[in-house]
Amino acid sequence: MLGKEVTAELRSRVALNAIGLFALTTLVAVAYQIGPYQIAEEDRPHLLAALLWIILFFAATSGLARVFVKEEDSHTAKTLRLAARPTAVFVGKYLFNLVLLLALYDVIVPLFCALMGYAVAGVPGLVMVMVGGAVALAATSTIVAAIISRASGSSTLFAIMSVPLVLPLLVFLIRGTRDAAGSGDLQPVLASLRAIVAYAGVTLITSVGLFRVVWND
Amino acid sequence: MVLFAAMPEISITFDRVGKRFGSRQVLANLSGAIEPGQVLVVVGPNGSGKSTLINIIAGLMRPSRGEVAYRDGEGTLPRARWFEYLGMAAPDMAVYEELSARENLRFFARVRGLHRSDAALDDLLETTGLPRRERDRPVATYSSGMKQRVKLAQAVLHAPAVLLLDEPSSNLDEAGHELVARIVQDFRPRAAVAVATNDPREMAWADARIELAG
Repeated sequence: MLGKEVTAELRSRVALNAIGLFALTTLVAVAYQIGPYQIAEEDRPHLLAALLWIILFFAATSGLARVFVKEEDSHTAKTLRLAARPTAVFVGKYLFNLVLLLALYDVIVPLFCALMGYAVAGVPGLVMVMVGGAVALAATSTIVAAIISRASGSSTLFAIMSVPLVLPLLVFLIRGTRDAAGSGDLQPVLASLRAIVAYAGVTLITSVGLFRVVWND
Repeated sequence: MVLFAAMPEISITFDRVGKRFGSRQVLANLSGAIEPGQVLVVVGPNGSGKSTLINIIAGLMRPSRGEVAYRDGEGTLPRARWFEYLGMAAPDMAVYEELSARENLRFFARVRGLHRSDAALDDLLETTGLPRRERDRPVATYSSGMKQRVKLAQAVLHAPAVLLLDEPSSNLDEAGHELVARIVQDFRPRAAVAVATNDPREMAWADARIELAG
C-alpha cells in the first residue's frame, strides 16, 4: 500500500508540489517580512517556534487530505474498498502521510533556521519533537481526510475539522520546540514530549478503530 | 482463462430490497437470488437502478429496506467477509492511472494477500487482449477500451466466487465484447454471476433475469 502511494505520488507529484510550494512560499514571505532581526530577543524563542509550526501545519493541510480525496475523485476508492482490508488501507495511507511530513520537515526546518537566524541549542530534543509531531499530525490528518473525502468542498472541510483537533497538539509542539531551541538539556523538552506522544498514541489507536466504520459506510 | 483457487461456492439472496435517495425511490421490494453456476442479468433503462442493485448486492451500498445475505456451505457470511469472495467491474470503479496495467494487478493481488508471479499477471493481461507494448505504460495513457480491459482483469484476478459486472462491455470493441462473454462463460460453472446490461447479446446469457422499470 505504501509502495503504491509513493510510486503514484512520485509520478504525479501533486501532494509534494502542493505542500512544498505552500511551505516555501510562506517561509520566504515570513523571512522577507520579519527576517532574523525584527523580533525582540526575549520574544524570539516563543515567536519563532510558533511561526515554524504555523508554516509546517498549514503546509501539511494543503496536501495531506489528498490521500483519500484522490481515491474518491479518480474513482479508485471503490476498487480499493473491495480489494484491501481497511486496516491495511489506513496504515498505508498513514505511513505515506508520515513520510511526506518528515520529508517536508527535513527541508523546511533547516531552511527556517537559516533564514530566520533560529539557533537551536538542543538538536536531539528538536528532532524528537519534530518526529513526535509528524507521527501525531499524520494520524490526525489521515483520519480527517478519510472522513471528509466523500463530501463536496473537502479541502475546506479538512481545514475546518483539523484545526480544533490539532490545536492542543500545536500548543505542545510549539512549547517543545521553544524548550529544545533554548537548552541543550533534554529535561525541559520531556514534559511537552510526553504530551505529544500521548496525543499521538490516542489519535492513532482511535483512528485505526474508527477507520473501519468510516471506510466501509 | 482463469484458474479457480479453493474458493467456496457462494449463493446470494436479496429479500424485499428497497433504496431511496432523498425523496426518490429507486428500488422497491426487490427479491431474488444468485446461485453458483447461475448468471443473473439485470436489465432496465437508464436510471432504473441497475447499478444501485449491483452495489447493494456487493455490499458497497446499504439498502434503505430489506436484506442481502451471502451463504457458503456452512452458513451466512458476515458482511465484513463479502469482499473476499467478490470480483467487480463497474463504470464508477477505476484502476490507478499513475500505475501501469501490470503494476495495478500486482498491487491488487498483494493487497488481497495473493502471490501472483509476473508471468501469471502477464497471462491474465494476455487474455484480456491488452497489447504487450502497453502493459508497462501508465494507465493514464490508455484508451477507454484498454482501461476497461484492465478493470476486467482486476475483477477476475483472484478468481472470485461472486462476479458482478455492471455494463461490462462499455467502451469495448467487438473483440472486447467477446472477452466479456468468455469471462462469463469461464465463471459460469461455479461462480455466482450478475450482469447489469442493456446489450441484447449480454441479456442472452441470463439464467435468471430482473427487469427494472424506469
